[in-house]
Amino acid sequence: MGDSVKRLGPAALALALLGSFVPAAAQELSLSFAAGGFRATDDAYREIYGSGTPWAAEVWLKSRGPFGLSAGFGRISQTGTALPLGEGGQEYPLKFVRTSIPVTVFYQFDFMTVGLRLGGGICFHSYREDWQTVDLAYDGRKAAPRFYAAATWTVAPRISVFGSAAYDSIPTGAGSLVAADVNLGGFQFMGGLSIRIF
Amino acid sequence: MRAVKTFSLIFLLCAGLFPYPGGETPSLVKIPKVPALTASALARSGVEVRQELQNCLLALADREEISRLRRMGVRPTVLDRSAGPKEYLLVSLATPGAMDALRARGTAVAVEPRTAVFWTGTAGAAEAVPAGLPRKVLAAFPVRVDLRPAAAGFPVPPAAAPDPLVETIVSLVSSSRLSSDVQSLQDFQTRYSSTTNCEAAGEYIFAAFTALGLDAVRFEQFPFSAYTSRNVVAELTGETYPDDIVVICGHYDSISPSAYRQTLAPGADDNASGTAAVLEAARVLAAYPLDFTVRFIAFSAEEWGLFGSRAHAAAAGQAGERVVGVINLDMIAYANSMPEDLQVIVNAASGWLADRFLAAATDYGDLAATKTVDASFIYSDHSPFWDNGYPALLAIEDNPLNNPYYHQTTDTIDKLNMTFFTGSTRAAVGLLAELAQPIRSGYPATPTGLAAAVVAYSSLFNDLTAVRLTWDVSPGAAGYNVYRTSQSHLGYVKLNDLPVTASNFLDEDLGSGGTFYYVVRAVDGTGLEGNPSREAEAALGSSVGRRATLSASVPLRLWGIR
Repeated sequence: MGDSVKRLGPAALALALLGSFVPAAAQELSLSFAAGGFRATDDAYREIYGSGTPWAAEVWLKSRGPFGLSAGFGRISQTGTALPLGEGGQEYPLKFVRTSIPVTVFYQFDFMTVGLRLGGGICFHSYREDWQTVDLAYDGRKAAPRFYAAATWTVAPRISVFGSAAYDSIPTGAGSLVAADVNLGGFQFMGGLSIRIF
Repeated sequence: MRAVKTFSLIFLLCAGLFPYPGGETPSLVKIPKVPALTASALARSGVEVRQELQNCLLALADREEISRLRRMGVRPTVLDRSAGPKEYLLVSLATPGAMDALRARGTAVAVEPRTAVFWTGTAGAAEAVPAGLPRKVLAAFPVRVDLRPAAAGFPVPPAAAPDPLVETIVSLVSSSRLSSDVQSLQDFQTRYSSTTNCEAAGEYIFAAFTALGLDAVRFEQFPFSAYTSRNVVAELTGETYPDDIVVICGHYDSISPSAYRQTLAPGADDNASGTAAVLEAARVLAAYPLDFTVRFIAFSAEEWGLFGSRAHAAAAGQAGERVVGVINLDMIAYANSMPEDLQVIVNAASGWLADRFLAAATDYGDLAATKTVDASFIYSDHSPFWDNGYPALLAIEDNPLNNPYYHQTTDTIDKLNMTFFTGSTRAAVGLLAELAQPIRSGYPATPTGLAAAVVAYSSLFNDLTAVRLTWDVSPGAAGYNVYRTSQSHLGYVKLNDLPVTASNFLDEDLGSGGTFYYVVRAVDGTGLEGNPSREAEAALGSSVGRRATLSASVPLRLWGIR
C-alpha cells in the first residue's frame, strides 16, 4: 500500500500543478498517445536489450502565451539475454520494464497548422529487471532530467499528429560486472496522435 | 697511480659497507604467524619456509628478505645468522630435561613451548640428538605453507551410514595376524636403521607384499647420516583413477637406548604395530578391485629424523603425484587403560581426513578417537607429506605419550592391548577402504572425467555465478546424481531431485561464493547408485556470486534525490 502511494506521488504532483494552472491561464488542453523507438546510450544496455518500443500517454496544457505544461505516463518493456563472462553455454532470459512519469515545461512556436515544441523537465522513472528462470531481480527508482522537441501538424479541428524526440539521462548508481554505473537513458523517437479537449 | 690507489680504496670500502646480497649466507629465522603474514605477503617477502609449526614458520632468509617482512609488520627472530649447509633438527621438548640435554650437545633454541631447533657446529646433528627425543630433520627444500587460522575448528559432518561392503572388508581384519606380524618384526631383535637386522625386516615386509600379489612392490633406497636404508612400497592399482593415490603407512624401524639399539630394540608398539596394520590392510584389500590406487608403505629411518618418509614425500611432490590422503599409523597398540581412545593429529589443511577417521573409528573400529589440529606435531611420517602439501593424519595411542616402554628394550608384544590394536587397525582400514572405494559388481561404473568450471553471467543489475560440471558418460548409467559440499570430502548434499540424464550439470545456487567440491555418482535403471567420482573443486571469488534482490527502501532517496 505504501509503495503504491509512493509510486503515485509524482503523478499526483503533476496533476496538482496542472490543476492550479488550468483555471489561471489555460488556453488549450489536449491528450496525446504515442509509440516509437528507444535507443539507449549505455553500451551494456544495448548489448543486452537492444532497442525498445516505448509508448506514452500525455496531457498537454498550453497557456495563452507560448508556454505550456505537460505530464503523462510512459512505459518500455524489453526482453534480452544475460551476457556470459567467459565461457557461456547457457541462456538466461531477462525482462526489463521501465515506467516513467514526465512533468515538463515547453515552449511552442506555431506556424499556421504546424507547431514546434521545445521543452524540458523532470521524469520520475521506476524500473525492474527480472531473470526469468532464476530468482534474481532488481528494483530501482530515479528522478532524472528530460529534454524533448516535438512537431505537431493539425490535420482536423481537434486532431493533430505529431512526432517527438526526447533525451533522458538516467544514471542509476548501480550496476553489475558488465556495467559499473548503468545509465538507463537514451534517445526516444515517437509518433502519435493528439486530441484537443478544448 | 695515486688516483688509482684512491679509487681502489674507496671501492673496497664501499664493497665492505654494501656487500652484494647474492653472496650472503642466509639466516635461519622464526617468523610468527601474525595476521599481517598472509600467503601473498609471504610470497612477496621471498623467504624460503622450511617448516610450518602451529604458531610460527621456520625459514631461511637474507637481510633484505628480513627487512621486507619487517616492512610488512612481521617481526622475524633470527635463530642462526649463518645457516649455510647445516643440518637442523626439530626436537620435541615434551620429555623433561630435553632442553638441557640438547644444549649439552649443541645449540638448541626453543621456538614453541614444546619444540626446539637443534644444530651442531659439524655435520651429523641427527646423531647428536639424545636418544628417546622425537626429532625431525628440517626440510632441505621450501615447504608448502597453510596460513589459514590455526585450529579454527572444523564442523563435524553429519554421520554417514557405514558402507556395508567396507564393513565386510573391515571384518576380515584379524587380531591373530596382527599379533603374528608384530611378533615376526619383534623377532628381528632390533630394527634400528643402519643395522642389518633392520634391512632384514625390510626384506620380510617386501616378501609379505609380494606374496599378496600387490603391484609395484619395491624398495626405495635413500641416504641418511652416513648410511642408506630402504622404504618398502607396494600398491594396489586403482581401476578407475590409477593416478590418484591413498597412502597408508607406518615406519618399521625401531630404537632403544643407545647402549642397546644395535642389538635390541623390539619396538613392538613403536612401530611394529603400525607396520603390522599396514600389512593387514594390504591383506584384506588385496582381493578387491578399487577405484583409487592404494599405496602401502613401510618407512625406515623414522627414528633418525623421518628420513624415509622425507625422501618419499619429496619425490612424490616433485613428480606431481596426486595423493588424496595419507593415513600414518605410529604406535596404535598400547592402552594404558581401557577403553583407550585413539588420537588423530592433523594440520589445518588435513582436517577433513581426521573427521573421516573419527567417523570410521566409530563405524568400523568400535573405537573412540579424538581429533587434534596441531601443525607442530611433526615427529612422525605424516609430517613430510604436510611439507609437500598433501593431506595427512597421524593415528597414535596417546598425546602426550604415556607408554612407559616407549623407546625401551621392554617395548614388546606382551605389553600390547590386542582389542585396542585391532580396533585401531579396523578404523584405519575402514577409512582406507572408504577413500579407495571398492568396486561393486552389478553397480554402474564410477564416473570419470569430472571437471568443474566457474561460469558467470551478467545483466544490467545482477550477476549470476554458476559452476558447470561435465563428466564422461559411464557405461550402464541411466542417469547421475550430483553432490556438492563446501568442505572437501565431507558432508556431500545431493543437488538434483531426479537423476540427471545428460553428462553435465549447472549449479546455479551458490550463495555468496566460496570454494565448492563436487562428486557425481552414476545411477542405473533400477536406482542402484555407484561409487562417487573423484572430487572436482570450483573456487569462486568472494566478490562474485549471486547478488541478492535489491530494492530502494529509504523514502528520502526514493527517486535517487539526495
